[in-house]
Amino acid sequence: MLQDAAGAVSARAVARVDEATVIRAVQRGDQDAFEQLVRAYDQSVLRLAMNLLRSPEDARDVYQEAFLRVYRNIHTFRFDCSFHTWLYRIVTNICLDHLRKRKVRREESAIVETADGPVDRMDSFEQEGTHANPERRMWNTQLGDRIENALGDLTPRERTVFELRHYQGLRLRTIGEMLGTSEEAAKNCLFRATQKMRVVLGDLV
Amino acid sequence: MNCDAVVKSIPFYFYGEVAPDAEDAIEEHIEACAPCRVEWERQKALASALDRHALAPSPELLAECRHDLARAIYREESPVVRRSASDPWGLFREAFSSLWRPGIRFRQPVGAVALIALGFFAARFTGTWPAGASLAGFTPDAMVSSIRSVQPDNAGSVQISLDETRRRVVSGRLDDHNIQRLLMAAAREQDNPGVRVESVELLKDRGSSAAVRGVLLEAVTHDPNPGVRLKALEGLKSFAADAEVRKTLAQVLLKDQNAGVRIQAIDLLIANRDAATVSTLQTLIGKEDNNYIRMRCQNALRNMNASVGTF
Repeated sequence: MLQDAAGAVSARAVARVDEATVIRAVQRGDQDAFEQLVRAYDQSVLRLAMNLLRSPEDARDVYQEAFLRVYRNIHTFRFDCSFHTWLYRIVTNICLDHLRKRKVRREESAIVETADGPVDRMDSFEQEGTHANPERRMWNTQLGDRIENALGDLTPRERTVFELRHYQGLRLRTIGEMLGTSEEAAKNCLFRATQKMRVVLGDLV
Repeated sequence: MNCDAVVKSIPFYFYGEVAPDAEDAIEEHIEACAPCRVEWERQKALASALDRHALAPSPELLAECRHDLARAIYREESPVVRRSASDPWGLFREAFSSLWRPGIRFRQPVGAVALIALGFFAARFTGTWPAGASLAGFTPDAMVSSIRSVQPDNAGSVQISLDETRRRVVSGRLDDHNIQRLLMAAAREQDNPGVRVESVELLKDRGSSAAVRGVLLEAVTHDPNPGVRLKALEGLKSFAADAEVRKTLAQVLLKDQNAGVRIQAIDLLIANRDAATVSTLQTLIGKEDNNYIRMRCQNALRNMNASVGTF
């Protein structure tokens, strides 16, 4: 379903604007065109960063850094791949850097102390498909914690490939191109990611 | 297809990443084999659970991100823009236009003063300057302390705003030798990247002049602003076969910190292949941390039938 949604967002973006025309306008210095380009893609960029990093602060940083890089380097874009691939290559590289840094430092707690008491950073996210039933909600919370753990066990590259395939609906060939690797290597990453998650979530799914 | 092969293929089957004939074989097997059917159901359950726990950005977070981006771009360019717009995208537009739009008036006070003798204007002023050029009153021994703006128009002329003892505007055609000399001086204007970008933009189609080409090579090697370096690279495109240009491009490829500049340098180098290019690309692969650039190098080396590594 999410794959369909991602595809639909992308299709809408393409239908809404003649992308090549907009990009050429941006390259000529048309600021309105740049804003149009940002708005066509920024929701899916933010969604990708949030699902990869599971942190609103990090997702916000990635959003800003990615579009600043686009802003600074759009005149180097030569249409030898789609803008979507070019943009996602930028976003995934930044996310991979975040994930690698995170592996080095201690995993941050989702709970932060504020003047108003402890706050769960994940509350900034809207979780899809929440349920009103208290038992169901408790089960969902448990499953959610396990999913967070399962995703945390993946290597940055496995996590990225999984995110791009499962949530963003991208083909493994495109993912390989974005990450500067082969389709086969992306396929191996997806397999390892799926296996690891099935081990961690085995009794819940 | 046996159970082991089917179980290993299930994730790819789920994501539609197996060939159509293998897809048929997996479907038939799952239909007939209860343990593999259980594996298939588990795969679907896992995907469904993950879908339910996907995170979606709240509209507030998205709005904050857009606001932050507009602010960040504005901050990045703030020394050269006028602070008048109140909404973030208005600020962004000002910042953006300051970088790109021809003729924007930069208001940054110029710190270091590069004094440029403009004695050459005297000769132009005394008789042969084009009619309508605003050089009236220009003192022959005037000294220019800095160049504030460079503004081309559609008729092929350029208006250059410069400071002497007071600011003065001079106009002339782009093919005028003195205007070109002034533009070359402007391309070295240390404290104003906007002036440098605009000047290099105007000079980049005149690389057939050795002096202009020298300025472009200097800009691509030493200018601190990647936008200026990229413009200079554009100007060198037609001279990518020239030995001096190629030597500079190789240096840029190995030293420039900006990935966009390195990518452009690769494009120019591989347009005219030689043994030195192979060596440069092989060296670059060994030290490059940008995946895309490494991939471009690998592809270029393969196209040149050269090995990716050095031995």
